Amino acid sequence: MKTRTKFVIGGAVIIAVITALSIQSLQEMTVFFYTPQEVLASPNEFENKTIRIGALVQKSSVEWDAQAIKLSFNITEDGKKFIPVIYAGVKPDLFREGQGVVVEGKMQGQHFEARQLLVKHSEEYSVETEHQKTKEEYYKSIQTN
Amino acid sequence: MFSLKKTILFLEWTSILGLLVCGLWVFLKLPMETSQGFPQKIMYLHVPSVITTYLAFFVVFVYSIAYLWKRELMFDQMAKASAEVGLVFCALVLVTGAIWGRPTWGTYWVWDARLTTTLLLFLIFMGYFLLRMSVNDRDKEARLAAVLGIIGFLDIPIIHKSVEWWRTLHQPSTLFKTDSGEAKPSMPPELLYPLLASILIMLAFYLYLLLMRFEAEKRQDELNQLLAETQD
Repeated sequence: MKTRTKFVIGGAVIIAVITALSIQSLQEMTVFFYTPQEVLASPNEFENKTIRIGALVQKSSVEWDAQAIKLSFNITEDGKKFIPVIYAGVKPDLFREGQGVVVEGKMQGQHFEARQLLVKHSEEYSVETEHQKTKEEYYKSIQTN
Repeated sequence: MFSLKKTILFLEWTSILGLLVCGLWVFLKLPMETSQGFPQKIMYLHVPSVITTYLAFFVVFVYSIAYLWKRELMFDQMAKASAEVGLVFCALVLVTGAIWGRPTWGTYWVWDARLTTTLLLFLIFMGYFLLRMSVNDRDKEARLAAVLGIIGFLDIPIIHKSVEWWRTLHQPSTLFKTDSGEAKPSMPPELLYPLLASILIMLAFYLYLLLMRFEAEKRQDELNQLLAETQD
């Protein structure tokens, strides 16, 4: 076998191993968020640890206290098991019921105290067909708010 | 008939007019997206930049292999030109992504798998140019750069699949969505067609920049060659 061929084969093996190893370690590292079910299943493991939880905002669970700047809502995956979240901050623009969110903070007993509230929007895009909001209407709507 | 000069001129005007038309179309004619509203429009810059970045580094990959195989300097010039343009588009992806993230996600940046691997791509190709600059021998430079160019490209499939392999804040792909094997972008046609048009125009713009840079690289090498000869 020529030396060059050996180098090519050796190089390919090294690259393959590095790729496999980094994908494996990434797999462990890249749990960007846990699910409510995972957190509820082992509460001791997550107690007093800063974590992120990703889930949907439960329907009709959102309460907004403008005086105290306190937003509270439940996050859930299946609509049955949920975690109550308290966030001391304003609602992000795209925050609404049924929306995907990622909250960062700590479990405090039964509820989750969020330090950061991120909106995870879906890959679905749509346009209102009945009355298509034109640019002017959009600008009007932000002026009146 | 198809001289390089004429091709470049054609691509130049196609991209100037095309980008202008796409911009006007997006801002004046397109309906507002239901949940995001106005910020969704940055998609028409973000997504074409992503596709262009993918293509640019794929071209680096192909020409790097070609160089290692044939040892033609022309292939290295092509790889270098494409890497340079790709790096600019990669920066554009990161910047437009951050601008889009602020009003929609509520943050400019998170360390999720999609964003981190994209930043990694940018850093790898920054390193690619540092490597090139640090080597004085032209052939050695080409050889080392080709190896790094090939390895660097391997990050792109990882970036693309990151949203499926791992939990990320970034949403999965809209454009490459499939339903039982069939392509099914989850977007209404009035938002989709301008996006496809923007992608095509951006690719024309990429081709224009690529050929310009390639020409310049070729001349630079010729000039260096001449200078070296006169000094002897």
